[in-house]
Amino acid sequence: MIRVCDLMHKGVLYCYPDDSAQVIADMMATNRIRSVAVVDESGEVWGSVSMLDLLQLYGKKLDKTQAQEIMRPYRIEVDPQWPIEKAIELMKKHRIEHLLIIDPHAGPKRPVGILTDFDIVRYMSHVELGVYEQMLKVPSD
Amino acid sequence: MEERVMRLMKRGAITVGEDATVREVAQVMVVNRIGYCVVVNDKHEVVGIISPRSILRAFGMDLDRTKAKDILLPHTITITPSSPLSEAVALMLEKRVDHLVVIADRPGSRAVYGILHGEDLVRAMAKNQETKA
Repeated sequence: MIRVCDLMHKGVLYCYPDDSAQVIADMMATNRIRSVAVVDESGEVWGSVSMLDLLQLYGKKLDKTQAQEIMRPYRIEVDPQWPIEKAIELMKKHRIEHLLIIDPHAGPKRPVGILTDFDIVRYMSHVELGVYEQMLKVPSD
Repeated sequence: MEERVMRLMKRGAITVGEDATVREVAQVMVVNRIGYCVVVNDKHEVVGIISPRSILRAFGMDLDRTKAKDILLPHTITITPSSPLSEAVALMLEKRVDHLVVIADRPGSRAVYGILHGEDLVRAMAKNQETKA
């Protein structure tokens, strides 16, 4: 059985609720990611900001808007030990492109990873990481 | 003057035929590390676009039998190079997609001209603010 923790990205890029949208745009542009978690000082998750949430501010001043104004509040709890099918059903039902995965053993809801729709596509494609690079390698002699 | 789609779009796009299987489309996305795949017909006209979310919808079906044409988002989600970027953003938000297919300006044309990526828009937003500051 494939579990959520087998496919998720371990570790999450995060910002604080009072960080400006400019900080989030810089994080997305630099790290080439599509979503950023919003956590408070204790590390507890408040929500997440996706690329589309940020695009709502197109043409407006990014430094005047805080992360908490554009984030989607954290509602859907996902355990890293869940079977992947359960997570996929949630993504389909709520029409979302990523799920934050929470450490079930910590008191505050601390994010330990993120599962994106692209991780599921990779799983469904049956292409293993590194296999394509291997295929492209031309024999040296 | 308002900025146009052609300033940020990437010329060309990765395409699959409408009879490709969902597994093949997923493989094309993973191998090329892209979050979209443009579906074209025999005449190389845009039929639609497939996003990772479209592939997710096919989870549980037979991926080697389900075709690209069964899961694609229709070609209505397209824009032209001379459209304002604000119009492109509004379309992305309305349809909740990260990419838009750019088609040529000629009337009746449905040939793929390029792709507008959401991440390029975000990068431009980040850069614009820096230059203003």
